[in-house]
Amino acid sequence: MDDRLRETLSAMMDDQADELAVHRLLSRAGEPEIREQWQRWQQLRNLMHDERRDLATVDVSSAVRDAIDANAELPERDADAKATNPSRRSLRWSAVAAVSMALLVGFGAGAHWGISDETGAGALTAGLGLDGNDDDDAQDTPRVPEIALQGLDDEQREQMSRYLLEHAQHNSVGMGYGSMGYARVASVSTGLR
Amino acid sequence: MTLSRLPTSALRDCRTSSGEGTPEKATVTSLPERPNAGGQTAKKPVTESTPQSPSESQTDKQLIQRVKRGDRSAFDLLVLKYQSRVASIISRYTNDSQDILDLTQETFVKAYRAVERFRGDSAFYTWLYRIAVNTAKNFLESRGRRPRGSMEAEEAERLDSGDWLRDVATPEKLMQREEMYEAMQRAISGLPEELRSALLLREYEGLSYEDIARILECPIGTVRSRIFRARDAVDRELAPMLSAD
Repeated sequence: MDDRLRETLSAMMDDQADELAVHRLLSRAGEPEIREQWQRWQQLRNLMHDERRDLATVDVSSAVRDAIDANAELPERDADAKATNPSRRSLRWSAVAAVSMALLVGFGAGAHWGISDETGAGALTAGLGLDGNDDDDAQDTPRVPEIALQGLDDEQREQMSRYLLEHAQHNSVGMGYGSMGYARVASVSTGLR
Repeated sequence: MTLSRLPTSALRDCRTSSGEGTPEKATVTSLPERPNAGGQTAKKPVTESTPQSPSESQTDKQLIQRVKRGDRSAFDLLVLKYQSRVASIISRYTNDSQDILDLTQETFVKAYRAVERFRGDSAFYTWLYRIAVNTAKNFLESRGRRPRGSMEAEEAERLDSGDWLRDVATPEKLMQREEMYEAMQRAISGLPEELRSALLLREYEGLSYEDIARILECPIGTVRSRIFRARDAVDRELAPMLSAD
């Protein structure tokens, strides 16, 4: 701890430190050196003001820290428990997804649905939204527009741009009136907007 | 500067370095009288006001703001600042040193849990004292004992520097206390005059840095620096005794 920080600490004892300096110091308040210096100066002050000698140097700070930490464990444990629930749920859903997938693929193949490649199966599971893994979902997200926009010619791309612009304008005008985003029902290939 | 600008109590201990009435910088040359080892107060302290009145503690406000945002180390600084005074209040209700420590700890844990509800209508110091007094009273009631004198929080605060505390100190403790106090006195007396004046005006007169700067005719930054250096020097002298405690 440099002298500037120690001077701020001294000024803090007198309520004479400026806010910025205090902010800077408190960002390092967890450092033992700062704690020790603060404690010794408080003890000196107690002594100067003639407080009871055996209590002037009393220190319960570590016991208080431990007690607070021990109490804090309960909510943290609850939080941990809550945190485990989604993964359990996710496991359950994964199992359901796996069974559903097997049935659908088996049934689809038997009925000659033509879902024979991996892309099709992947699209089906993605459509069912049964993966349950947030990270995987986040990774999958960019794939959708890639699939949707692939194979567009120039005219279609221009049409898509106009469509998106108009869609944005429609949303801004209709905001608050329950306007329905009609992107879901538009089809690029048919040229409809 | 003229001495008439000094507070009355400071005037008693200030001496000008040159002739009478000459506008010179004020110097504080002596420490206030203190109680002797037997606990008898030889002379009233220079002033009975504490250096920081509870209502003006900006540092506390800043620390509490940080505690509310979940900064435990800020609460740690509050514990270090007030633990001795909280223990002192609790010691009015019980003489058992282990009980004093336990109840002091309990007071701070309760304060930490309730800090979200602390709106800052009163000073943190006052709020904490109320928790301490209630904790001590509840403790005594749980043991089927009546609180001594049924002291209220305000009363406990007012009596914070009462002499009765010394009644329960052992001769060894009193001796230690005396040695420590003398060492501190020597350390302060050995300080360069400008450092000593700044420290004493702050600690015993409770003056703001601005007032001290006016009295000592120097910039506020110089006052801040002098007080810091004075504390640092005294700390270096007493650190071995404090750490050996």
